Amino acid sequence: MLEVEQLRKSYAELIAVESVSFAAQPGEIFGLLGPNGAGKTTTIGCICGLLTPSAGHVKVMGHDVVREGPAARANLGVVPQEIALYEDLSANENLAYWGGAQRMRNPKLRERIQEVLELTGLQDRAREPVKQFSGGMKRRLNFACSILHSPKVLLLDEPTVGVDPQSRVRLLDLVRAEARAGTCVLYTTHYMEEAEALCDRLAIMDHGKVIAAGTLPELRSMLAERDLLRLTGVFAPEAARTAMQRIDSVEILQGDESLLLLSLVGASQKLPAIFAVLAASGAEVRGTTLTQPSLESLFIKLTGKELRE
Amino acid sequence: MRFLWASVRKDLDRVRRDPFSLATSLGIPLVLVTLVTLVFSGGQAAPQGRLLVADEDGTVLSQLLTGAFTREPLSKMFVMETAGREEGRRRMDRGDASALLIIPKGFQDAVFQNQPAQLQLVTNPSQSILPNIAEETISIMVEGGFYLQRLAAIPLRSIATGQPPSDATIAQVSIAFNQIGRSLAKYVNPPLIKLDLNVVAEKRENQNVAGVFMPAMLFMGLLFVANSYVLDIWKEHSWGTLRRLATTPVSLGAALGGRLISLALILCGVALVGVGGMRWFANVDVASVPLATIWLILSGMTFYLFLVAIALHASNQRAANVIGNLIVFPLALLGGSFFPFEMMPDWMARIGRFTPNGWAITVFKAFVAGSAHTKDLLIGAGWMAAVGSLLFLITVRRMRKFL
Repeated sequence: MLEVEQLRKSYAELIAVESVSFAAQPGEIFGLLGPNGAGKTTTIGCICGLLTPSAGHVKVMGHDVVREGPAARANLGVVPQEIALYEDLSANENLAYWGGAQRMRNPKLRERIQEVLELTGLQDRAREPVKQFSGGMKRRLNFACSILHSPKVLLLDEPTVGVDPQSRVRLLDLVRAEARAGTCVLYTTHYMEEAEALCDRLAIMDHGKVIAAGTLPELRSMLAERDLLRLTGVFAPEAARTAMQRIDSVEILQGDESLLLLSLVGASQKLPAIFAVLAASGAEVRGTTLTQPSLESLFIKLTGKELRE
Repeated sequence: MRFLWASVRKDLDRVRRDPFSLATSLGIPLVLVTLVTLVFSGGQAAPQGRLLVADEDGTVLSQLLTGAFTREPLSKMFVMETAGREEGRRRMDRGDASALLIIPKGFQDAVFQNQPAQLQLVTNPSQSILPNIAEETISIMVEGGFYLQRLAAIPLRSIATGQPPSDATIAQVSIAFNQIGRSLAKYVNPPLIKLDLNVVAEKRENQNVAGVFMPAMLFMGLLFVANSYVLDIWKEHSWGTLRRLATTPVSLGAALGGRLISLALILCGVALVGVGGMRWFANVDVASVPLATIWLILSGMTFYLFLVAIALHASNQRAANVIGNLIVFPLALLGGSFFPFEMMPDWMARIGRFTPNGWAITVFKAFVAGSAHTKDLLIGAGWMAAVGSLLFLITVRRMRKFL
């Protein structure tokens, strides 16, 4: 359905994406997870034809996006990061235009406009200029314009950035509904909880490369049930490292003067011992956060940094 | 085709929803042409000014001198008012008149006695045409007075005694003028200088200031509309709609084509109103409304492609705006789309006619005058199609990189 093979995109000496490979199937929600600048948007750009890959292949429903661009794009629906709508036009007019861009014709187009307006809950506001819509409504219309032609593959590039929680839930429901209807969904985000809640399979990207891929249970197993302990305060990094060696199976993921990130098994039982050795090393602990195994802890384990950085 | 129609409809809907941008582009030239027409004519063919005369001499000669301004054609250009020297000065300081002519006391006596005489003409520096006309007229009359003084000083002196002339004096002066006339006859009859008059164009009875300015203003409007349409592509870029369009099966060329068609429809309305306005409101005798209208539309579309090809090379929307203005305003000023070529110095008009809009406006005037026909339209359209196609390809290529 969607195949990305050894994708590479470079700009002069800057390599934006390197050796990215994955495949997504019909009815599956495949997540691309990574911090800003990880290469997610570049990957999406290569898939939807906005960027020409420097190397590798991308196929949509068997059509190569470079050699058979229009045929590949006819099967694609793209929900861009920005609200790419004409705000001076109504929802109806926007949908009619984007339907035309997908070569849809009346009366099929008119029927489909009514369907997506109902699906996104915008049927009562269909004739109003989009500039009068709330942010959440604009996001829903942005989504509606992309599914109007019932694409086989739907790409969503961080569609919930800046969206209120209520609209986010509604938007995620719409994505799930599309997947249930058999659409192959590629979803990029830097929100861990969103990826965990939505995606069937995930690829974690950093510095233009896929550093881990698999289903959520597969990825979690990479952590071997290890907890993530985040300590803030005042630390002497070298002294803290030496102190941690006295505790069993503690791995220091990140350590500097103000932050210590530890990966360990049975963190709650080991907390008193950790505090004791740190106090002995001259450290002053001011804050503690204990996180159960999650994508975030996996990301930190793989990259040595937090996703929000 | 389906998308082309959707694209045209979208652009027209957007103009309908926000007509202010288009109205502004057209409003500026409209206001300018109205103001210029009011300032220069008030509906008449020639400009009119005020000539103040401080006649301190009050003699036959001083009245003869100013009499020229009371007869046509000068009487149509000047309203003559008498004023005292000081009052006249004050009114000139206020910019109340085009010129002030001061005829000092003893002017006639000095002329008739072959003595030096001095007239004073104060002109308004904020005006150019009318003060020059006044100066030239008075210079000619002073020159005439000089030759009269040289040829007929003695008989004139006998008249200028201040007393009513006797019959003998009148007979003596008549004989003297008769002799002067006969001595001049060999130069005057037949005249040594022959005026060779060639009529190069049919005199246009209804030609007026609006008629001179309206083609210029129409083309200024075209340039402004094209430029505002160009900036719209930058807006689409910032909204992300162009990027989104590039992810659909349709080509960017189709999008640009749709935009051109919508622009053509808008220009069609503008051109019909403009050319119709020239013909029925400004009383300009437009020889062919259809040819002039089609020419305006084609010109506007080519201007758009020219401007959009350049604007897409700008680094951002603000830069595109600045570059657009840097091109449009000099082109408008030099290319006869602000001041008509008729008002420009010859050297400037010659250069201006080589600018794209200068060429287009010259051909447009030929369609208005009836000296260009369908064949000329086809040739011109062919040129514009060739240049336009090249610009179209450049623009589409640039749009891909622009995303």
